[in-house]
Amino acid sequence: MPVTSEVERVDFIAVPTLDRERSAKFYGETLGLERNPNSSEQWMEFEIGNVTLALLPHEYTGRSEFTPSSGPIALRVSDVDEARRKLEEAGVEFPMETIDSGVCHIAPFFDPDGNSLMLHRRYAPYADGSTP
Amino acid sequence: MQAQKVDFVSIPTRDLDRAASFYGDTLGLERDPLSDSAWPELTAGNVTLAVVVPEQIGMEFAPLPTGAIAIRVPDVADARTELEQQGIAFEGDTFDSGACHMAFFRDPDGNGLMLHHRYKPYHDGSTP
Repeated sequence: MPVTSEVERVDFIAVPTLDRERSAKFYGETLGLERNPNSSEQWMEFEIGNVTLALLPHEYTGRSEFTPSSGPIALRVSDVDEARRKLEEAGVEFPMETIDSGVCHIAPFFDPDGNSLMLHRRYAPYADGSTP
Repeated sequence: MQAQKVDFVSIPTRDLDRAASFYGDTLGLERDPLSDSAWPELTAGNVTLAVVVPEQIGMEFAPLPTGAIAIRVPDVADARTELEQQGIAFEGDTFDSGACHMAFFRDPDGNGLMLHHRYKPYHDGSTP
């Protein structure tokens, strides 16, 4: 039987890190996300609109090999080109040209640990005419 | 730069149908009716999970690391039992951090997921 009634929400998305101070600087200053004041130095959380990004120190995972996250987290910005330019000015490298999927703009990039992120903006309405 | 929200979290897969079935049927997440079969999206409360074949966005397949997405359930032990009855294998015993319960498992592609429930109030007295 499915646990349909059970799943309430996503509490956080874990962002594995080898250097929590470097990550805190990146998410807090470079990306400008708000630090959750209830989070600790050992478990830092950053808020982005609908969800929490939690820095997961590698030593907590109990694994020897460090694996960054391979599934891009799509950060909504009002204008992908403009946000990309600002991040490039802050020293963030983008490995490819911004993609136009036909419905949205996508600019993939990585955090300092190699975790996958993207700037994202859907410009086309959905099939029912609504917009994001 | 102003990041407004997370539009979606990508779940890398080698088999779109299998992944859509796992997230839709096994976890019981609602399929976003506006998403198509080439880019299935499922709604987990506040966040959209997008099942993605990484090669379509110029990436190589690699599973998400352990516990990458913390899925809130009212009771971790109950939810774990239900998923185990459906054949889901969990990694280790449920972990009690002193503030929350965590139970680690993986989807059919090996992506790391976690059942999560914080039972302890935050420093300011609020609860999740």
